[in-house]
Amino acid sequence: MDGHKVVLSIKNLHKSFKKDDSELVAIEDFNLDIENGEFVCVLGPSGCGKTTLLRIIAGLEKPTRGTILLNNKKITEPGSDRGMVFQEFGLFPWRTVRKNIEFGLEIRNVPKEERKKISDKFIDLVGLKGFETSHPYELSGGMKQRVGIARALANDPAILLMDEPFGALDAQTRNLMQKELLRIWSETKKTVVFITHSVDEAVFVADRVVVMSARPGQIRYIFDVKWPRPRDRASVEFASLRKKVLAELEKETGMNR
Amino acid sequence: MKFNPLHGLKHFFSRDSERTLMKSVAITIISLAVFLAGWWALSSIFPSAYFPSPYKVGVALINSFENPDPNFGGLTMWDHMSQSLGRFLWGFVVAFVLALPLGLLLGFSKVAENLGKPIVEIFRPIPPIAWAPFFFVIFGVFWGPILPVFLGVFFPVLSNVIFGVKSVDPLLLDVAKTQGASKLALFRKVILPSTIPYMMTGIRIGLGIGWMCIVAAEMIVAPGGGIGLYISIMSLVGRWDYMFAGMVVIAILGILTAGLSGYIERRVSKWMGIK
Repeated sequence: MDGHKVVLSIKNLHKSFKKDDSELVAIEDFNLDIENGEFVCVLGPSGCGKTTLLRIIAGLEKPTRGTILLNNKKITEPGSDRGMVFQEFGLFPWRTVRKNIEFGLEIRNVPKEERKKISDKFIDLVGLKGFETSHPYELSGGMKQRVGIARALANDPAILLMDEPFGALDAQTRNLMQKELLRIWSETKKTVVFITHSVDEAVFVADRVVVMSARPGQIRYIFDVKWPRPRDRASVEFASLRKKVLAELEKETGMNR
Repeated sequence: MKFNPLHGLKHFFSRDSERTLMKSVAITIISLAVFLAGWWALSSIFPSAYFPSPYKVGVALINSFENPDPNFGGLTMWDHMSQSLGRFLWGFVVAFVLALPLGLLLGFSKVAENLGKPIVEIFRPIPPIAWAPFFFVIFGVFWGPILPVFLGVFFPVLSNVIFGVKSVDPLLLDVAKTQGASKLALFRKVILPSTIPYMMTGIRIGLGIGWMCIVAAEMIVAPGGGIGLYISIMSLVGRWDYMFAGMVVIAILGILTAGLSGYIERRVSKWMGIK
């Protein structure tokens, strides 16, 4: 596998919103290359434009300036080559677990037997066997997000975009889901861009932690976390890196002592 | 993964709902008994031909179904009922078939909304029954009593469908877009199913209004009979017990249609997995 191939390249990205007569700069001068198979966390204070960044990569919003290349192709609109996982799950309430996962396959007119094969594979991968015919209202938050992840992966995207995917879960489920995500990631070898505001979460899952500044959102610092997984939250290195990342983040929120 | 925590939960709820169902049936029976007793008491305290006792109305009701009435050229209550139901169904189906696509369009397209909304707003406040004489003259005796029903159903379905399209969760639209959905796919696979519960609400409201419209319209024109006509004739010839019998039939049919739409609504919600 070509481990150092750049999958996603963000170049001079700039995004501003017009609000009344003033211009609100959300993202400024953002440059980042993400390599194949890499797990990148984008961390930042709330309102720093990290969700906007992800939505631009997904094609749901247009940048004011700058380009994003996915495998050297410019991103202009949403597409199934980028799988997105949303904080509030966004499951179709009228579809069963299986039908939710097969949504994108249906859109692309994948034949029925093929769809079933693929959804079976991902239902198995995310640990939802036995719940194929359940509807979202019958599932817990953690299970809902398992469906969300399976649905994003079912299209076999080049990159997985995750917008605070565990933000709506309780602390325990959250920790469990982080481990589950790492297992899924190691089995699928997908490139992941993961948005979070939790330092602990970022240090636990990521290969690289990108700390963004408050508005306008720029890259403030990038931490390389080349540790093996599973990582030990109780270890000294973990605590010390967490402290460093937190210090960097707090400079932004004006909380540093 | 064999363990399914939902089984126990479902079991619990079904037993619980059985108990609440029995309880509410008992309360309904008590409420009906109190109503009939009150009616009986009032009609014996104030004896009057204009206010028959429930017994008299009951006799008239049975009679109206069993014996052809010379006042109506030998029609029975069955004939009046089937006439009214037929008109109701016509008006309802035509209204739904037109209101659904129009509602989807007005909800979906801003231009269509700006074009259509003012016209809709002009016609909506006019009581459907006010049109009955006009419809009768212009469209004849068949459509005359049907079109007020049409209007009564059309507007609630239309406004609820428009509202439904506008209430589609933007998150679901984003999800579908990131899954590669085209505009058509967004419409078919997200907007349309999201609108179904609103459609059902529109139908439920429309059924109630439509049912009132048919009776009122038939009082003005009803070739071949109809419950509305039956009531107005019976009051004119002074058979108040029969007039009340006609009203009872309307009440029962109204309850049945409302129950049917409620049943369909629950089935649809269940089928769609919406709780």
